[in-house]
Amino acid sequence: MKKLYILICLLLISSAVWAQKLDVKASLNNVFRYGNGKENNTISEYSKEYLENIGDARLKINDFVFGMRYEISDPIEYGNNFKGIRKRYLEYNNLNENINLRIGDFWDIVSRGLTMNVFEDRGLAYDTGIDGLRVAYKKTFGDKKPVKVKAQILGGDINYTDFLNLQRTETYKVRDGNFEITPLKNLMFGGNYVYAKGSVMGNDLKTITNITSELPEGYMSLNYKDINFFYSYAHKRVSTEANTLYPKSITAFGNGMYSSLSYSKSGLGVTLEYKNYRFDLVSPDQRDRTRPTKMMPFQNPPTGLKEHTSTLISRNPHVVDFNDEVGSQLDIVFAPSDKLTMNLNLGMASRHYEYLNTDTTGWQYKWERVNRYNNFLPSLRDQLSPFWEVYYEVEYYATDKLYGKVAFSKQSENIYNEENPLASEKIFNSTVPVELRYSLTKDYTLKLIFENQWTHNTSHSLTDDDVSQFIALSFSKSPDLTLTLNTEFSTDEDEPSGKKNWVSGDVSYKITPTNILSVSGGTEKGGLKCTNGICRYVYPFNGFRLSLSSKF
Amino acid sequence: MKKVVFLFVFTLFLSGFLKSQTYSDFTLQDLEGNDVTLSKLLEKGPVLMSFWATWCSPCKEEMKKVNPIYEKYKDSGFTYLAINQDNQKSVSKVKSYIDAQSYKFPVVFDTDKRVFEAYSGKDEMPYALLIGKNKEILSVHTGFKTGDEVKIEEEVKAALGIK
Repeated sequence: MKKLYILICLLLISSAVWAQKLDVKASLNNVFRYGNGKENNTISEYSKEYLENIGDARLKINDFVFGMRYEISDPIEYGNNFKGIRKRYLEYNNLNENINLRIGDFWDIVSRGLTMNVFEDRGLAYDTGIDGLRVAYKKTFGDKKPVKVKAQILGGDINYTDFLNLQRTETYKVRDGNFEITPLKNLMFGGNYVYAKGSVMGNDLKTITNITSELPEGYMSLNYKDINFFYSYAHKRVSTEANTLYPKSITAFGNGMYSSLSYSKSGLGVTLEYKNYRFDLVSPDQRDRTRPTKMMPFQNPPTGLKEHTSTLISRNPHVVDFNDEVGSQLDIVFAPSDKLTMNLNLGMASRHYEYLNTDTTGWQYKWERVNRYNNFLPSLRDQLSPFWEVYYEVEYYATDKLYGKVAFSKQSENIYNEENPLASEKIFNSTVPVELRYSLTKDYTLKLIFENQWTHNTSHSLTDDDVSQFIALSFSKSPDLTLTLNTEFSTDEDEPSGKKNWVSGDVSYKITPTNILSVSGGTEKGGLKCTNGICRYVYPFNGFRLSLSSKF
Repeated sequence: MKKVVFLFVFTLFLSGFLKSQTYSDFTLQDLEGNDVTLSKLLEKGPVLMSFWATWCSPCKEEMKKVNPIYEKYKDSGFTYLAINQDNQKSVSKVKSYIDAQSYKFPVVFDTDKRVFEAYSGKDEMPYALLIGKNKEILSVHTGFKTGDEVKIEEEVKAALGIK
């Protein structure tokens, strides 16, 4: 592989020398990060230090792009230490011929990601990137009533490291074919097929289960006047080879469906989303995230819930179970004037079925699924671990200088424990985030964020409701300087660090428009951090962080 | 692998063509399914292209503040092109948000982030680049602070040759 890349580079340079008209451009995007302090898990406090430098370089010669990421992460903040070339690729992009070819590392999403959505999130140490080949082609036939077609094939290897257990890995050889046709301007049909062979490491970090999976998907979109409709359905088949962990080979079937309907006109936008994910419907004792028949790591459908920007609301998100979840979301944006915008969001989700223990011996669990005819709808029954939320927000540009935003959020999460229902947990959160911004002059602005949250957790029944407050005061000078002071207070007795107060400050300074230096210090509260429904718990941190982001 | 690094770095720095950002043409679909090509927009005049997402508050503020600039100079050939980066989670809400705000500037989808990557986009948003008619990148803005719109308007005027 190394020789191949050297050869490609030499070919590129040779072409650069001999070609008559050359368009050669280069760019570098570099991020330097350093942190030093103490971190708390539920057991102890320990030193935490990280030093990372990630440089993404691109060299463009006419229609060719050669890119690579050189990384030094030693020690890394999240994940395994690394030093060397993390990513590299060669891309050919011909706009006239509408051909795009890429060899090397890439991420991709097909449609809404029900069968193919690979991405990277360094903050979660999550990376499902593919190392392989991707060829995409699109063409438009006809002028008066054009018919557009788009086709893509890709294949390669995924070396996925479990972001919650860095010793556990899963590897896949993936092949994907995608085709889309737009026979009318407002109508599109698409199909996708993924075939993968994988090796999934078990919880014991030794046993490997070899699997084969097939995922066909069909989707369509229709835009008619003010209405937009999207529908996607994916089927999943996974078969495993017998091993010591699973003595009998398993063939498991699953499916997923996602749909959205939106209506919009000047001043009003309404979006209704529906999800029905049944990628691996299993009884409670089999809900193991290392189970080989689970949703594949290269899948990542929409969560179907609101993505919050409030610090306190986003700290306790609902963790979507893509293997077994049905739900819906309604989002309404109403802007009666250019100064006033209102947003109402209603979301709901639950599992499909309840499971009863029918064992009479008292020695084991024998689960029996309780079917319900309306399992295509979410339920509020405790046994189905329901989640719901109501969010209402008003933002108003009072004058050229004054801006305000007030919101109210109510969330209910039920984490049902089938084995011991008394150990189930119900969490109710009510949050009021407020943001005020006032421009002192055309360059100087003050911003205040105040958030108050009341939490009732049934597993904390001996204590009163928890109260959390978050206050952030920022002073900024356009376009280069921001100073922020963050304070947080909580009465939560279960906080891992044992703290009740957190104070931190940060300074962000743009050395140039593309070179940004950020320094922060103090105590930071931990919590769940999620991207695309993938969540990990980030522990509280007390220390100092420095980052320098540069584009050359 | 060291050879690869050496070769690449050698090529990068000895090429003598090092520029801060590189222009790259693209065609993306707008909210109505029409193709929007950057080079065609540039034939009319400068383009401020900004990468944004519905979950990004500073991006929404930038739109609110840059929209009047677009309305003021669009007849002079200026285009504000909003390139959406929403992922599969929230892409369904993009059109309803834009329509509700009654924005008239072009909004295109870059769901797979290929254009974002081509313009060295990383994690920060909004990320805006002002491109002159001659396809030269005139300025780059990472993030948005209240008051940035003043500088942006000055840059747009300069790109249009308005004093």
